[in-house]
Amino acid sequence: MNNSKNMIKYDRAKRNKRLNKISIPAEIIINIILGAFCLLCVIPFIFVIIISFTSENSIRENGFSFIPAEWSLQAYEFVFELGDQLWRSYFNSFYITILGTLLSVLICVFYSYALFRTDFKYRKFFTFFCFFTMLFGGGLAPTYVVSKQLLGLSDNYSAMIVPALLSPFNVIIMRTFFQTSIPTELIEAAAIDGSGEYNTLFRIVTPIAKPGIATVALLYALAYWNDWYLAMLYVKDASKIPLQYLLMQTQNSVDYLLKNSSQIGAGVVKELSKLPQDSLRMALVVLIVIPIACAYPFFQRYIISGLTVGSVKG
Amino acid sequence: MKKVLSVVLCIMLLTGLLVGCGTNSDKDKVTNETSNKTETETNDTKDVADESELEHVTLKWYLHGSNVTDDSAVLEKANEYLKEKINVTLEPIWGTWGDFDTNSVLAINGGDDVDIYFTCSWSANEYNAFARKGAYLRLDDPENNLIEKYATDLWNELPSVLTQGATINGSDGYGVYAVPGYKDIATQNCWDINVPLLEKYGYTLDDIKNTDYYGFGEILKTVKEGEGDSFYPLLVEGMVLERMVNNSIIVTGDSGALNLLSYYINPENPAADGPYGNKLLSKFETPEYKKFVEKTREYYLAGYIDPAMGSPDTANDTRVAKQLTGEYLIGTQSYALGYEVQASNERGFEVAMVPCTPAYVDTTSSQGAMMAISTASKNPDRAMMFLNLLNTDPYLFTLLDYGVEGVHYNMVDGEVEFTDKRADYSPWTNGMGNVTQLPPQKGQGVDFQDKFKAYYGNASEIPILGYSFNPESVSTELGALANTAAEYALALNTGTIESERLDEFIGKLKANGVDKIVAEANAQLDAFMAAKGN
Repeated sequence: MNNSKNMIKYDRAKRNKRLNKISIPAEIIINIILGAFCLLCVIPFIFVIIISFTSENSIRENGFSFIPAEWSLQAYEFVFELGDQLWRSYFNSFYITILGTLLSVLICVFYSYALFRTDFKYRKFFTFFCFFTMLFGGGLAPTYVVSKQLLGLSDNYSAMIVPALLSPFNVIIMRTFFQTSIPTELIEAAAIDGSGEYNTLFRIVTPIAKPGIATVALLYALAYWNDWYLAMLYVKDASKIPLQYLLMQTQNSVDYLLKNSSQIGAGVVKELSKLPQDSLRMALVVLIVIPIACAYPFFQRYIISGLTVGSVKG
Repeated sequence: MKKVLSVVLCIMLLTGLLVGCGTNSDKDKVTNETSNKTETETNDTKDVADESELEHVTLKWYLHGSNVTDDSAVLEKANEYLKEKINVTLEPIWGTWGDFDTNSVLAINGGDDVDIYFTCSWSANEYNAFARKGAYLRLDDPENNLIEKYATDLWNELPSVLTQGATINGSDGYGVYAVPGYKDIATQNCWDINVPLLEKYGYTLDDIKNTDYYGFGEILKTVKEGEGDSFYPLLVEGMVLERMVNNSIIVTGDSGALNLLSYYINPENPAADGPYGNKLLSKFETPEYKKFVEKTREYYLAGYIDPAMGSPDTANDTRVAKQLTGEYLIGTQSYALGYEVQASNERGFEVAMVPCTPAYVDTTSSQGAMMAISTASKNPDRAMMFLNLLNTDPYLFTLLDYGVEGVHYNMVDGEVEFTDKRADYSPWTNGMGNVTQLPPQKGQGVDFQDKFKAYYGNASEIPILGYSFNPESVSTELGALANTAAEYALALNTGTIESERLDEFIGKLKANGVDKIVAEANAQLDAFMAAKGN
């Protein structure tokens, strides 16, 4: 039986290949279009890398250029001289991202699974409850007061994790994924076989929903990795700030000094000369992007397989 | 169930919106109430305090623009000293340049437990606005005059321009809401001259001194011809240039992209009345402005001004780069004492500064760095004592500002030489208080502070010192004008668009209610001058 099924599949695949075959000129054109799009995505990043290796003098004289007049490792030397602070921030970023993603995904799966179950009585209310916060927020000042004074989110790691724990958008993605990939029959079947609710969720639903979970996990991980705003609001202790905020701090300071130079006075020039310039900023960008770029392929595998795997066969 | 729920949520939403709109008045009430409460409370504790030893308290101090990663050595020493003096433990919150604006405003609005805030006329927790909101304690409140009680030394040490400039209309009436810092408080706009280049063409500094902007034409022409097409002799910052040429000043409160108001000072003597008296004018509608724009356009067309100066994105970078490489003849500079020496060192050629007016103190510069006591502070009395000590005790101030001697700096022949450790502890020197207490830095000379006091202490005050425009009542008009002003002002000031388009600009200003703004500003000025006269 299995064998014959495979045979049919194989035959179909063969025929599809012939059917999907396109003419060579079309293939060339499509390749060119996709290639161009790919270049558009990659070139800015390559540019950033080149700038990070350009000497400050040649940036000042010629502006940014793909072939700089003078190459230099200055920026990276400066970055690695930051020493402790850099590694500390690297560690913080990883710590926040990993812990935050784990917790967020767990909460997200719980919440959206409950919303997915049609036999859950308050399903409508909790859907609305979640969706409402996508449209209306409490505003910055009240959020700040609640976080800092009520929840004590000040100068600790939880200040950078707790406010971002639940993203309504991700809950809705996850719920929709459950709805499209998990048939109610499956859950009913599990219940008939004597599976409890937790068992059903972890042993039956979760393995099927892996691609969806991977997608959500990637979104969360990106959000945690890229977040600097929460650190800016709640964290003053330099030993706890993540890499992103280290970059934003220098960036914001340069902008601010330029904007207010007339009020801050002549000392500003001195301050400016202390602050990192363009090449250094780009070097920091490179350091920030590398880890997350490395994490992409792992998630990608799940996301692609999510498109092809189904749970009900036949 | 569902209906009830939706009704409840709608009501919540609506009240949320309404509360959001009516913030100010409500908040004022609350903060005033709390401030009254704290005042009465502190009166009680004060009586006790006088009789026995001072109770130990912790003061939180929010500073601007610091670059501090390790303050342990400094705080250990400072707290030891402060404990002995006023039994206080200090907990500074080091704001960095970039995030101070967002964070300090949130901390104030959120009622954070902070005793002393840095405030000034140009940061987001702007002195005038937040004093009006009731975020800062009035320090010379007739019922609880903290200055008289604890800080007479400090007050007597400050030049009168500063105490005058700090006296404003706040939530508790016309008074002082923050302690002004004694720093480079005077404004003096100067022509920044590239001396070697000037002399190369046979001119001397006297040729610049004896003429003005309208007479630069010949010098600029000679140098432009000699240096070639890609050389732009005038290196200007549009807004500053306009103020320099017209002798108009920044009107505090009218900041940012919207410089709509002008106050003309007397270029010979800034303390005397200017050509229009104590009146605010619509900046772009005066004959002086028209004349300036026409001349600037002429210079621009002759190739004296770099087109990059007309675009806000490129102006600053280009200007800084060209200053460093010396690709200019005459630049604009807002001067600080000793800047020509500093600039000459940095750029590697002789730079001279030719002032347009004598040094003067306006509201913006007199409120350049201040320390306010928050109405949320539980110990305003002790905060005031600390501020008094900070501004009158050179040991404490030098310790907090420069760090520990032998660690962060060394004294060499009476001058301060910073060590590498200073990189871990460098607060904004001018942002703390009375900088005249500091020992001179290397290269400044041992008599630097005397020169400093002579220059800044004697700067004359403009007649409307202390006035700040409160834009709240005309915010609609200002909002409508924001884009218009951004579109024209810089371009006109640098000559990058035709001067004829000034009329078109004025037309748009009029159509969007600039008259109302000017009238409102003048009404406020009259009210302020009346209060000041008393």
